[in-house]
Amino acid sequence: MTDQSTAPGQGLNGAAGEGFLSIRGLTKRYAGFTAVDNFDLEVPKGELVAFLGPSGCGKTTSLRMIAGLVPATAGRIVVGGQDLTTVETHRRDMGLVFQSYALFPHMSIARNVAFGLEMRKVPKDEITRRVKEAIALVHLTGKEEHKPAQLSGGQQQRVALARALVIRPSILLLDEPLSNLDAKLRDEMRNEIRDIQKSLGITAIFVTHDQGEALTMCDKVVVMNEGRLEQVGTPVDLYERPKTAFVASFVGRTNRLKAVAKDGAAEFAGQRVPAAGLSGPVEVMIRPHRIALSPAASGEGIAGTIARAIFSGDILQYDVDVGGQIVSVELATRGGETVLAPGTQVSLSWRPQDIFVYGAAA
Amino acid sequence: MSAATAIAPALPPRRSRLGLIVALLAPIALINAIGFLAPVLNLARMSFYEVEPTGAMREVYTLATWAKLVTDSFYAELIVNSVSVSLGITLLTLVCSYPIALYLHRSSGTWKTILLVLVISPLLTSAVVRTYGWIAILSDSGLVNNALGALGLPPQRMMFNLTGVTIGLTEILMPYMILALLAGFGRLDPRIEEAASTLGAPPFTIFRRIILPLTVPGIALGCLLCFVLAVSSFITPKLLGGGRVFLLATEIYDQAIVTLNWPLAATLSILVLVIFGGALVLYTRALRAIL
Amino acid sequence: MDERPVSLTLKILAGVMFAFLLAPLIVVLPISFSGDAFMAFPPTSWSVKWYPAIFANSKMTAAFWTSLVLATVVTTISLAIALPAAYALVRLKPAGAEVLSSLFTAPLLLPTIVLGLAILIVFARLGLLATFPGLVLAHLVVTLPYALRVLTTALATLPIAVEEAASTLGASPFTVFRRITLPMMKSGLIGTTALCFLVSFDEVVLSIFMTGPRISTLPVAMYHHVEQQADPLVAALSVLLVVLSLVVVLVVDRTSGLAKTFVK
Repeated sequence: MTDQSTAPGQGLNGAAGEGFLSIRGLTKRYAGFTAVDNFDLEVPKGELVAFLGPSGCGKTTSLRMIAGLVPATAGRIVVGGQDLTTVETHRRDMGLVFQSYALFPHMSIARNVAFGLEMRKVPKDEITRRVKEAIALVHLTGKEEHKPAQLSGGQQQRVALARALVIRPSILLLDEPLSNLDAKLRDEMRNEIRDIQKSLGITAIFVTHDQGEALTMCDKVVVMNEGRLEQVGTPVDLYERPKTAFVASFVGRTNRLKAVAKDGAAEFAGQRVPAAGLSGPVEVMIRPHRIALSPAASGEGIAGTIARAIFSGDILQYDVDVGGQIVSVELATRGGETVLAPGTQVSLSWRPQDIFVYGAAA
Repeated sequence: MSAATAIAPALPPRRSRLGLIVALLAPIALINAIGFLAPVLNLARMSFYEVEPTGAMREVYTLATWAKLVTDSFYAELIVNSVSVSLGITLLTLVCSYPIALYLHRSSGTWKTILLVLVISPLLTSAVVRTYGWIAILSDSGLVNNALGALGLPPQRMMFNLTGVTIGLTEILMPYMILALLAGFGRLDPRIEEAASTLGAPPFTIFRRIILPLTVPGIALGCLLCFVLAVSSFITPKLLGGGRVFLLATEIYDQAIVTLNWPLAATLSILVLVIFGGALVLYTRALRAIL
Repeated sequence: MDERPVSLTLKILAGVMFAFLLAPLIVVLPISFSGDAFMAFPPTSWSVKWYPAIFANSKMTAAFWTSLVLATVVTTISLAIALPAAYALVRLKPAGAEVLSSLFTAPLLLPTIVLGLAILIVFARLGLLATFPGLVLAHLVVTLPYALRVLTTALATLPIAVEEAASTLGASPFTVFRRITLPMMKSGLIGTTALCFLVSFDEVVLSIFMTGPRISTLPVAMYHHVEQQADPLVAALSVLLVVLSLVVVLVVDRTSGLAKTFVK
């Protein structure tokens, strides 16, 4: 596997252990299974990092370990040079936005937001001022005396955000904060959260199972699967240079094809694809819109037969039978093209950097 | 490479958390031990003592007191009586409670809440108050007899006998049965009844073949509850029976307070618990057979 | 929910049974206004003399105060003991929490006559019979299981994320309990208070074993009175007691919704 994106243990600039938030060997084991396995990460100050993965991959557990709500079985959590691994939650100075918002139902919005400041024994008039600012920051001015039950889901979300931000925490943690919102609201909040985070320059971790959220919002994405870190990198890195089969298929759409590798190359539909260091069964992955399709007459690329043509407005999708396997090809519609009928012979081609080969499980 | 500078305070170790748990649970555990565990264990122990004819208690383990239960016909009768009367009361309570529970189940909204409150309200008053009400109704100069007299019918003796106790106890136990039945009615779906109706079943058949069988778990629970409460009931038999009705609970009291034969009272108490256990076993067996 | 009209047979049956159910409580009211010296229904004459008679009866008034103070003390102590226990069992979750919970609610399974006897024997040896502390202890045995039940349910249904949020905002565990958990448990606390108070106030069988000539509770005093002579005095008392229970229930309903607290 080529090492294009950052390896664990190294900051973006490559220097080891330089992150504002430094996680080393973080592990969480329960009786019978390991939720998080040896998680290493360096996060520079001011960066918004996503923990991305399917449910059960360990992303929320990792976040809760950082917050101190779950004690780590092994590993270290260091923030700004301070080892916080054994420090209790209420002394870690982190802001956590919960998926369920977790607002205090018996307190008004203002008192909810003020709570963290009260705990820090901030003087009364300063509390009033900062609460007002925070509420204005999330565009909820005028609702200070309302109770959480009187607010909509999106509004409650913003209160949760204000409450976590007003204390100026060293790190902002967000646990799938947008999952309970409808699609339109989600998009709105995505931008708002990103804007606020950037303007405050606060280091933040954003847990999500939605790769669209991760890619559009965050500076860096950590892809997790079954408790392990699959890859860390910028959205572009992950998309263009996925290091594992999991990352390739989880981030963006992709075709997954079977082939057999021998002597450093995989034989696929009459073409040889480089597969350095692999032998035996492999998975060949290529994204549907990175494939060029032309009539068979051109003679380049590999031959296939159109099995199905699907026109869905923005996209014209062809399922092409190549040596027994189906390769999906997506073409942006330009208007005026003829939709090729099933049975048509076509020729597919792609750039070498757009095809990934990984070892397949037996 | 390691940049850790300040040493952060550690989380409280497991041991002090255990200490906290123990401290929080200690008071209730203490009361439980002094007021429940120790007395009950002591009671079991005491049932194996015996009281001599002189009235002194010999603190030697013996089965003599238990033997008395078996050999003395008074006690044999007492036990059989108590169990059979309780069974009868349970059945009566079931019959009287079922209509109320069913009606409640079919109601909704404010009316249902009002009815529920009415059902629960007797439970909020003392057994003495409710029994007293029954005395007012059943006594020779009470409601029923005066009504009978007004109609020209002969007066009925309903106090100081088993009749009065049965009637009073049945009513007193009804709230428990109603609540148990209601809980069990959860399985009733009006659509099942509608399906039966479309298939040609008349209302009473629907009741007999659909509603009744589905509500059996609630019935079983209610019967267990009421039987157990009836067997151990004290205030109502004592007051309505006027000392002339002998049931297990009244006998326990008499032996404990009047005769001061604690071993015998203890033995009878353990017997009550054994009867409980038996009822519970029957109940679980019945449930398993149904479900 | 159900648009089918309820059959007339059911309505009539239910009505009759309801009358049967509420008969004793309904009957008691008119008798309390009886002018007779004995209990007869219907009363041959009417009078309100039995109400003031209550207060003239020194035994009854003494017993009433004892019951009132006793119920208050028992309720307070029950809350003070059951709340930490509920917190420990639900939030700290020690090993064997289920077993402990069952053990602590077990006293409710025992018939009061058996429990009363058992406590009588042990307390006699400890010299606690016919004493106020002895009564308190005996009542605690039956109120604590109720308190624990209601409080553990209230605590268990609390969304834990809210407590976690407070923790991340810098509140120590005790502050979380005081400022977040407790206020959110308000309806459970009120329900527990009402329940413990009524259970203690109405408790009769245990109290019969635990009282004597020197100290008595109201239900016991009423019991002895009825044993000897069933006159309308008890009716007047009963009416007052029913009103008291209703007041307690209404207070609970106003503050936190009766149905929510008990009928789950």
